[in-house]
Amino acid sequence: MSNYYNMPKLPTENSPKVEIFVDDKPVMVPGDTNLLEALKAVGIETPHVCYHPYLPVSGNCRQCLVEQEGPRGRMLVIACYTPVSPGMKIYTPASSARVKNARKATQEFMLVNHPLDCPICDKAGECTLQENYMEAGQNESRMRPEYGKNYHGNPEHQFIDAKGQLRGGKHVDLGPRVLLDEERCVQCDRCVRFMRSIAGSEQLQLAGRADHTYITTFPGEKLDHEYDLCVTDVCPVGAMTAKYFRFQKRVWLLSHTPTVSMDDSLGANIWLDYADGHIYRVMPRCNPVVNRSWLSNTSRLAFQEFDKNRLPSMEVHTPAFGNGKIAIVAGGTCTLEDLAAIRMLKEKLGDRAEIFGGSLLKVDAPDGIAKSGDPVANRAGMKLLGFADVADFMKRASEFETLVTVNADLFGEDPAAAGVLEKINCRVAITPFDDATAKKATIAMGVRHWSEVQGTMVNSLNMLQKLNACPVCPDENLWAAYQVVSYMAGSKFEAAADAFKKAGEYAPVLAGLTYDAIKSTGKLLEGGEA
Amino acid sequence: MRVIKQKPMTWGERLYIFEALRGLFTTLKHAARGLFRYEELPTISYPEGQPEVRNTYRAKHRLMLRPDGSPRCVACGMCAAACPAHCIFIEATASDDPRIEKKVKRFDIDHLTCVFCGLCAEACPVDALRMDTKKISFEHRSREEFVAHLEDLTNWDPKDYPDDEQSQVAPGGTKNAEARKVWGMEVK
Repeated sequence: MSNYYNMPKLPTENSPKVEIFVDDKPVMVPGDTNLLEALKAVGIETPHVCYHPYLPVSGNCRQCLVEQEGPRGRMLVIACYTPVSPGMKIYTPASSARVKNARKATQEFMLVNHPLDCPICDKAGECTLQENYMEAGQNESRMRPEYGKNYHGNPEHQFIDAKGQLRGGKHVDLGPRVLLDEERCVQCDRCVRFMRSIAGSEQLQLAGRADHTYITTFPGEKLDHEYDLCVTDVCPVGAMTAKYFRFQKRVWLLSHTPTVSMDDSLGANIWLDYADGHIYRVMPRCNPVVNRSWLSNTSRLAFQEFDKNRLPSMEVHTPAFGNGKIAIVAGGTCTLEDLAAIRMLKEKLGDRAEIFGGSLLKVDAPDGIAKSGDPVANRAGMKLLGFADVADFMKRASEFETLVTVNADLFGEDPAAAGVLEKINCRVAITPFDDATAKKATIAMGVRHWSEVQGTMVNSLNMLQKLNACPVCPDENLWAAYQVVSYMAGSKFEAAADAFKKAGEYAPVLAGLTYDAIKSTGKLLEGGEA
Repeated sequence: MRVIKQKPMTWGERLYIFEALRGLFTTLKHAARGLFRYEELPTISYPEGQPEVRNTYRAKHRLMLRPDGSPRCVACGMCAAACPAHCIFIEATASDDPRIEKKVKRFDIDHLTCVFCGLCAEACPVDALRMDTKKISFEHRSREEFVAHLEDLTNWDPKDYPDDEQSQVAPGGTKNAEARKVWGMEVK
């Protein structure tokens, strides 16, 4: 990580409290952070554009100005780069007209050459400039029609629009997933800092000087990185837009479900943004311990496959398990509830049943941002509930006469290795998708996808995280996997909470917990970080 | 409060027959006027006679056109956001013209749900949606036909709006050739 800029120190629960004076009133704020975060902790929002809690402080937008009492009188300082010190005297717009005017002037300059694109801008509704305008701006336009706006940006991308006006570059192709709008860019350089300090691959640069500055890639290079869609999140305006979400939906029409991405064992916290029964995009949900506010492209774009190639609902019936040995294999996307139901089925079937968990995909190294590299999301949960590894099952596959796979696409993951499974007579696939395993199964039963169920998972940091059901299920009659499996075991769980209670019986560390006890950022289980 | 005392009826009125004849005469008078002096009637015989509609009347919607005939709408969704009846359905897509970002792919107005409040036309930032067609009657065979699609909304004739400069810019209008020249400026 580059040390060219400083990462902001964020307040924690253990931060020492110090007394500072805000507008001559004494308040207790966290003492080991910057002024912007300290004021936020006591409920005073400071408008800012370039500051981002998980990016190095750059301090170039000057939007977060406050007044500080110093040896030479009251001076304007930027809140994002001023450390809190005990006894400091701060003046916000609530008491200081100078701060108010300074912020308003900054805002006005930022909007001077910003296009009036809000109606067609994908960021409209969640745009920092719009928010700041309502909070700190509200100035009347001093633009005159005779000189108009003066868009710069890359001279190669300038064009004359249908009204005969010179415009800056629109929809500049930055890479396979991101488009740049040079007019809308306010040069906060968040994306540059993200690629430099977080992604660790400096693919974006600010070129030119002063108001000719524009964002660009190196000549002949494209923006192409596993985390490149994060630049569209950090962009405070609509300059960076994701191609997959471009013009799909106005953001105020989207509803949000907080949940956890089940394609990686770090369990990145996400928002599923949906409208009229479809997921339109996946946004990272800030969790300081897990994924901060980053999300890999793999997790972000996975939603496009959620409602494709699905199995329909059908009448669930208990298969005759025969007399031979039974293997029940749980896939990586099984929640703790699914695992508890499987464990219950195993108890019912007795010693001839064995339970395994995992996948045949290989485990990668963690990338240190928002992925642990392990495709089995709930591996820690499987350990808690006493599941053996699936590799163990593959070695002894010939012993079994019945195979039940739950959310586990063994044939799709490694067709060569799964060949031995074809010798097993009875194969039951319980899966949301009509995948290779479902096609080869004796019976395939459709269930709900992890985005459509309530549940819990334990991530690689041993944190218990909560999944919420997003109302986008293509078939209302589909059951969740835990319902199907528990029905087979003889007593169907009607609600996810019942299954979670059952999981508490098998794993003492989960006993006594309820969904309400799990915070939105998860709950660290006893035993600390795994 | 004022109490009005009813005048007692005279004996002539109480006889009933004269008053009844007087009422019948009024009815007959109007019936005869409809037969012989039709143009003096205060009503119109709809649907043969059409009422006079002013151009400020909030009638059926139309979408304004650019000189090249594409709808002016940029699919921003402001009209749908302003609509109190939620009767506007918009889908957007990227424009083919490199100078224009966004264009409308689907623009449906359900005229069975519409309350003709005019808030959509008011909200439009590019003056694309107007309600000045003077079409006030909607008659269709099925519910689906009451939904006006993009094709219906852009299908209007500039000759019907001779006084409106913006309408004349559309293809077929008097100012179209002039506007096309400005519009067709080459892309740098």
